[in-house]
Amino acid sequence: MQAELESPATRPRPTALPLPARGVESFFYDNKIVRDFGIATVIWGIIGMLVGVIIAFELARPELNVTRYTTFGRLRPLHTNAVIFAFVGNGIFTGVYYSLQRLCRARMFSDVLSKIHFWGWQLIIVSAVITLPLGYTSSKEYAELEWPIDIAITVIWVVFGWNMFGTIARRRERHLYVAIWFYIATFITVAVLHIVNSMALPVSFMKSYSMYAGVQDALVQWWYGHNAVAFFLTTPYLGLMYYFLPKAAERPVYSYRLSIIHFWALIFIYIWAGPHHLLYTALPDWAQSLGVAFSIMLIAPSWGGMINGLLTLRGAWDRVRTEPVLKFFVVAITAYGMATFEGPMLALKNVNAIAHFTDWIVAHVHVGALGWNGFLTFGMLYWLWPRLYRTPLFSKKLANTHFWLGTLGILFYALPLYWAGFTQGLMWKQFNSEGMLQYPNFLETVLQIVPMYYLRGVGGLLYLSGVFLMMYNLYQTAKAGTLLANEPAQAPALLPEAQDPHAQGGHWHRWIERRPVQLSIGATVAIAIGGAVEMVPTFLVKSNVPTIAAVHPYRPLELQGRDLYIKEGCSNCHTQMVRPFRSETERYGEYSKAGEFVYDRPFLWGSKRTGPDLHRVGAKYPNSWHYNHMMDPTSMSPGSIMPAYPWLFDNQLDNSTLPAKIRVLQKLGTPYPAGFDRLAVADAQAQARSVAAALKTEDIDVKSDREIVALIAYLQRLGTDIKVKPEQATATAAAQ
Amino acid sequence: MLAHRTLSFVAAGLLAGYAAGAQTPAAAPPAATLSGQELLLGTLVGLIVLLLLVLVLTGTAIVVKMKPQLRQLYDLPTVHDTWSGQVLGLLVGDARLVRGEYRDELLDHDYDGIHEFDNDLPPWWKWGFAFTVVFAIGYVGYYHVMRTGQLQGAEYAAEMQQAALFVPVGGDDPNQVTTYAALTAPTDLSSGKSIFATNCAPCHGANAEGKVGPNLTDEFWLHGGNVNNVYKTIKFGVNGKGMVAWKGKLSGKQMLQVASYALSLQGSKPANPKAPQGEKEAAGKPVAKL
Repeated sequence: MQAELESPATRPRPTALPLPARGVESFFYDNKIVRDFGIATVIWGIIGMLVGVIIAFELARPELNVTRYTTFGRLRPLHTNAVIFAFVGNGIFTGVYYSLQRLCRARMFSDVLSKIHFWGWQLIIVSAVITLPLGYTSSKEYAELEWPIDIAITVIWVVFGWNMFGTIARRRERHLYVAIWFYIATFITVAVLHIVNSMALPVSFMKSYSMYAGVQDALVQWWYGHNAVAFFLTTPYLGLMYYFLPKAAERPVYSYRLSIIHFWALIFIYIWAGPHHLLYTALPDWAQSLGVAFSIMLIAPSWGGMINGLLTLRGAWDRVRTEPVLKFFVVAITAYGMATFEGPMLALKNVNAIAHFTDWIVAHVHVGALGWNGFLTFGMLYWLWPRLYRTPLFSKKLANTHFWLGTLGILFYALPLYWAGFTQGLMWKQFNSEGMLQYPNFLETVLQIVPMYYLRGVGGLLYLSGVFLMMYNLYQTAKAGTLLANEPAQAPALLPEAQDPHAQGGHWHRWIERRPVQLSIGATVAIAIGGAVEMVPTFLVKSNVPTIAAVHPYRPLELQGRDLYIKEGCSNCHTQMVRPFRSETERYGEYSKAGEFVYDRPFLWGSKRTGPDLHRVGAKYPNSWHYNHMMDPTSMSPGSIMPAYPWLFDNQLDNSTLPAKIRVLQKLGTPYPAGFDRLAVADAQAQARSVAAALKTEDIDVKSDREIVALIAYLQRLGTDIKVKPEQATATAAAQ
Repeated sequence: MLAHRTLSFVAAGLLAGYAAGAQTPAAAPPAATLSGQELLLGTLVGLIVLLLLVLVLTGTAIVVKMKPQLRQLYDLPTVHDTWSGQVLGLLVGDARLVRGEYRDELLDHDYDGIHEFDNDLPPWWKWGFAFTVVFAIGYVGYYHVMRTGQLQGAEYAAEMQQAALFVPVGGDDPNQVTTYAALTAPTDLSSGKSIFATNCAPCHGANAEGKVGPNLTDEFWLHGGNVNNVYKTIKFGVNGKGMVAWKGKLSGKQMLQVASYALSLQGSKPANPKAPQGEKEAAGKPVAKL
């Protein structure tokens, strides 16, 4: 009887449940948690995108950087964290909590864990909203949150995994559907990435130093950063696609075999591709080449997901014309396909040489974020809400309007930035017939693209206005219906494997689909290989980071200035990585060497040049230039779009944690002499006095205990260790 | 370099090709006159291209004309399922060879009402995947096994070597004294003025009265007030003191124009002058005395 019930011969389209028979259990799906995560998705989406719109206009009009808490440097991490972890994160949990219960035919393992997960995650985001504008940041992209929050993320992530695996363990469905494979891979990989990349030694409650330095820190960070895209923005959403698309289209998935191949290929290959964020940097060549090679191999596995999605719609295309949910899905999957083709192209070195550090990359990621993540989320919410509230969607027309606003928003966002990136990338490289840079003044290349920044802001506004429409639409739908908090369901309990005829044979991959533990182990192995092959040699083989004798640790005041640089988020707009191109060495000076960064915890290479590179800025300008420039950038660079930092001139430098900082760095291997922590404050004050005295000779009166003095000391130190010192130059000149 | 480009070109198509092209230095070597041999080669290649074109056109015409017959042939059960039959299918508008067959057989999978077909992997996807794997192996082999490809250090060295061919090497010794005379033509001075306004004014003040940098209108000079000294200071900067080296950013002529303009401001007594710095020295001494 049991076997017959489950056999497809007796129920080819089991939409209606068969009559309760012996062994059939009744239970309830938890819809309330799905609804809660859904609401959080919408609210955080609006907040995150609103911050995005604000910072977009801050780039076009620097006077919009009104307070120290809302400068571009501090808000940009808030924007990325809010849209990735708050908007998409809650979107993942909405979809996973809905689909996992149904794919396992079981209620979530524990309502208590669900609640802890929900509120814990929201609290983490609230803490990000508070701490990032205050300047508490590790500066590592998409991992900016400081160590106490990192620990909270780990705990809540484990709660999520516990709840998920508990549900899987109690499932009433023998095999795990492809969506769950993706959820499992997501859980495991994000845990590994987050823990490894966040390794740091705390200095104080909200300050820590990375366990890795320089090149190694860069490699770990972009192994993380790239795979945050892969395993937070891609694999969980592929899982959602595999559930919600066939549901909404009411069509079978195109190919089971394609699912298998593209799942394993995707998770195995993705993890290797991180170094393509570091092409032409001081990262060892072999690691860069691996990054390129694996990026190219990523095209097909990524497109496997796209075609399995689009081909699932065969026979349902007529409904795409009328059904907003399917429209959103089609654009989402298409955007996914475009972004995953463009990504490997950007990983080719000759394309990367033009695109890297420009707005091209910003456009690229937003096609993925706005198109793939945004639109898939919207489609999912429009599909879910009527089912959670047992009533038709309030207005299909509004949803269609949202669709068009969103699509136009993406175009208005991406096209100007592609134009801007391409233009600026070429301007940086352009030499004139006399062999000189055509645009030696960096600012000229920035002013050229400011109009594009306006247009991009408009695109963002369009997109955001669509989300407001969705919020209204969902609210009205909820008002019209009643939440079915506990949805009744019935399913036969699983037989022991030996007695279950379903648990035998079939396609070879069916074996692992019955075994979540083995599947998890397999996924762990698949994602561990790439990271290990790239990281272990970079950490252990000395020749990968050739040391330079002239490179010394930062003096305490410089270290303090560096921490201010981190706090103000300077690395969001300024790189510290002169690439080995003639156009860069002419503009900035000698290209950056791996050995110069051995004391950089964290590394500050940056990923975007809204302003010029700063690695060789040390000793380039007088102290007074920096003083005036930080007070009012336009005084030294007329037309500059950099915000002013007047508070650095009022704030007293906080030296209270300086001895602890020195001790932590010593523990991490920075060769300060023993007992230097006790001398550090005095040394910082002495250096501050000499900087202030130097400023005095340039007619500038500044108290030596102000933050600006430390920042100037750091900026003047940058990249000077391997430069010929002026005294030496004079000595040589005199000798001749 | 060329091989690297070709390799990438294959993979990246036009986009990458264009990017590689854009990296080429702007200056081009003078066009050489065609030799007889080259002319012959060109003609031969042209002929071959023409022949191929004719062949393709004829083939297309035949396919279009004979489509019904080809279709009949294609529909024969003995032809239809063979590999060559599938190639024939491409000609009559059935892309089965590329996109695979939609057999659409349902598997006995059922997850909350979701079913799965047992369709083949699309051949274009499968072969595309294989191609990228071959490319990736070739890529790593090219750079790290055969070591044919230039890695970034070598690429940079080559780029600098190439640039040295276009940029005169002479005059890049800071100790080599130039013998320029200050320019006095109004056009030169007005160019000098606009160069000064965009590049120098932020530090030296709009009227050269001195701000971050020294006052340029008084008779006191830190690094010499002669036009050739000023020119040298502009060109090479003063490392560690904040004067930026303008070499590579301004041309020699532009540097001389702005030096001449600055010297023309001697004694102009602007408002809010910065206190004198350096040695007292009359600027603009005749060059012959150098």
